[in-house]
Amino acid sequence: MQKVLGDFIHALRHAGLPISSAETLDALRAAQLVGIDNAPLLKHSLGMTLTKRLEHRLTYEQIFDQYFTSYDQLKEGYQEAPPQDATEGLEKNAQAEAKSPKQAPLNEPVTNLNSPLAQQLMNGDMSAMQVMISSAATASGAQDISFITQVPMVTYRVMQALGDTEFQQELVRLASSDESSATVQLLRQRRSQLQQQVRDYVEQQYLIFNQNEPNKLRESNLQKVNLTSIDHRNYKLMGELVRKAAKRLASMHSRRRRITKRGLLDVRRTIATNAAYDGFLFHTKWKSTRVDRPKVMVVCDVSGSVSEVARFLLLFLYCLQDVLPKVRSFVFSSDMAEVTQLFEHKGMDLALAEVMQKWANLPSDYGKALTDFEQIALADIDSRTTVIMLGDARNNNEDGNISVWEEVYRRSQRVIWLNPEGEFSWDSADSIMSKYAPFCSHVETCNSLQDLNRILGSVLKRAN
Amino acid sequence: MIIRNKDKINSPDTIKLNFEALGYICSDAIATSVYLACHLQKPILVEGPPGVGKTELAKKASELLSSPLIRMQCYEGLDEAKALYEWKYGKQLLYTQLLKDQLGDVMRGAKGLDESVSRLHQFGDIFYSDEFLEPRPLLQALRSEDGAVLLIDEIDKADQEFEAFLLELLSDYQISIPELGTVKAKSKPIVFLTSNNTRELGDALKRRCLHLYIPFPSKAIEQKIITAQVPELNDKLKQQLVAFIGELREMALKKVPAVSETIDWARALLLLNVENLDHEWIKTTLNLLLKFQDDIEAVEPEIDNLLKAATKEN
Repeated sequence: MQKVLGDFIHALRHAGLPISSAETLDALRAAQLVGIDNAPLLKHSLGMTLTKRLEHRLTYEQIFDQYFTSYDQLKEGYQEAPPQDATEGLEKNAQAEAKSPKQAPLNEPVTNLNSPLAQQLMNGDMSAMQVMISSAATASGAQDISFITQVPMVTYRVMQALGDTEFQQELVRLASSDESSATVQLLRQRRSQLQQQVRDYVEQQYLIFNQNEPNKLRESNLQKVNLTSIDHRNYKLMGELVRKAAKRLASMHSRRRRITKRGLLDVRRTIATNAAYDGFLFHTKWKSTRVDRPKVMVVCDVSGSVSEVARFLLLFLYCLQDVLPKVRSFVFSSDMAEVTQLFEHKGMDLALAEVMQKWANLPSDYGKALTDFEQIALADIDSRTTVIMLGDARNNNEDGNISVWEEVYRRSQRVIWLNPEGEFSWDSADSIMSKYAPFCSHVETCNSLQDLNRILGSVLKRAN
Repeated sequence: MIIRNKDKINSPDTIKLNFEALGYICSDAIATSVYLACHLQKPILVEGPPGVGKTELAKKASELLSSPLIRMQCYEGLDEAKALYEWKYGKQLLYTQLLKDQLGDVMRGAKGLDESVSRLHQFGDIFYSDEFLEPRPLLQALRSEDGAVLLIDEIDKADQEFEAFLLELLSDYQISIPELGTVKAKSKPIVFLTSNNTRELGDALKRRCLHLYIPFPSKAIEQKIITAQVPELNDKLKQQLVAFIGELREMALKKVPAVSETIDWARALLLLNVENLDHEWIKTTLNLLLKFQDDIEAVEPEIDNLLKAATKEN
């Protein structure tokens, strides 16, 4: 049973369910308690111990059904003869069948068949065949397929393991003596049946164990890929990744208790500290709950040169604003505008489309934008605010209005500049990165989701 | 507690039947979860929309096992002083006064500071001891001699710190009190945690629990629930009512009616002597089912369609 459950859990993990070893142990104990004969009961029990989220439950149920139907077929086979491996089981079965044939598939006696597979096929015992297929498939690595295109190859290997070569030779020998004999016809028919059966089984194994493997591969690749080169096709998936990352960041919020002169009287600590004064309440201790929530302001350059990356930061922001209460978002090419409200009231697609339509793809003017920023938001920046700027600092040779940025830095002390260009191209041509850089606590290159994730993570950590 | 009730919980089916006898109609999943919780001695985390009988499950379980139900309602700002234990500060103060009077006797004739200190150490110290401990729900549950059913209601409303604080209790059925040491459960309680999902619970907590999701019941189960709760209601009306509620749940509402609303509605219809569900009755009693004005306004024009769809199904 341990093996069966172990494989099952392996399959679940492959499908992306996070199952810890403690939960595996619980599942084993539960299975021991309820037994494995009552399928609905087992399904409930394992479900309760293994899946802890509603969205995982559906996946679980699907895999349970797939897995345990194939297991049931196997079990029937096992009851007849538990094989050690393919060939051994084959021989045993062949002997058993020879002694007490279950079916008489042919009227004419079966003679002159040397290949074990041929004998087996002539006997027509499907459940024994199923057992052999499964052990041969395990030996051939059917559970490790990562792509559906590998199915034919593994099917071939399984057929080999079952003794197909020998069988084919025999078939040729029989056919050469008597092409039209019923035995030959039947064997051919059975062989194609068997091939289909093997193929089905291998495919099923692929579905159970490895269906999600390519997805995982793609997800981790996506994390690394450069934001500008993301295919539109992948935007949706990327959006989900962003959502995941934003949620993780939001869960880093903390709520701390600290000592102040206001709030509730902390009776316990007051008495403990005053025990030394004969129990007279001399020093009072107070407690209050403070909610730590970092204020984040994000300014996003959406001018022509960075619009592709900006779209992505906006997407991230949109998700972040969903989960963090105090994010204010600004966009600019030359005029700056606050889009916090827009993000709040409109759906993601609509909001992003509107931003792109109204502000994007114009020539950038950092000087003008910062003047606007000074008017809209400078008064709200305090020492608990983090300001993030996404832009390439390419100012078309205009005045950069550095003094505003200096003031922002003076007030906030946490100013992060994320530049989508690599460090080597800063200050080249019309970029004035080095003028802004002294007034930033962090200047980093950011052009993939991994960068974004890491940087924003550190923002929240220091904000606490 | 488990041993005493062995025959009442020896299989999920028995539990289901026993619950039915107590007027709680449950699905196989619920019965299985209680069975596993009793035998594996693990807490159950119950999730589901409001009003599907999460809290009721714990109450009925305590009735089934005939053991006391200890209930702890969680809320923001709940801390260990309210959940676990508190010192009896008043009495502790009196005790220090008492000590002061005794001190003269203890110290009489002591030579030098060293001897005074060693005499002070010999003198029993009960400032932090059981005498002055005020047990709160969690400690009560651990201390009850014959087990108990502990209901930690709406755990999602409590802070994350509190959730972390529960971990020791949930996995080992013990709790550490800094001044006293570790308190172990005399008899392991059956623990139910309920959550409405207002925030995501931590994985550590989830890992320690069996997870039970109670969805809205199927029509057949809901009819059985109404039969159990409002037995006087006639069958035809019952069918109409359940079908109508089923249709309502399909609509996009702020808050769809749950089982508790269905029961309230059934009781109201019984009280009003309604024989047949029609447009007028539904309109006048709709505020029992829907708790938002927006929802009522959205449903009112649809009543006829819903009613038609509901009768078609039967």
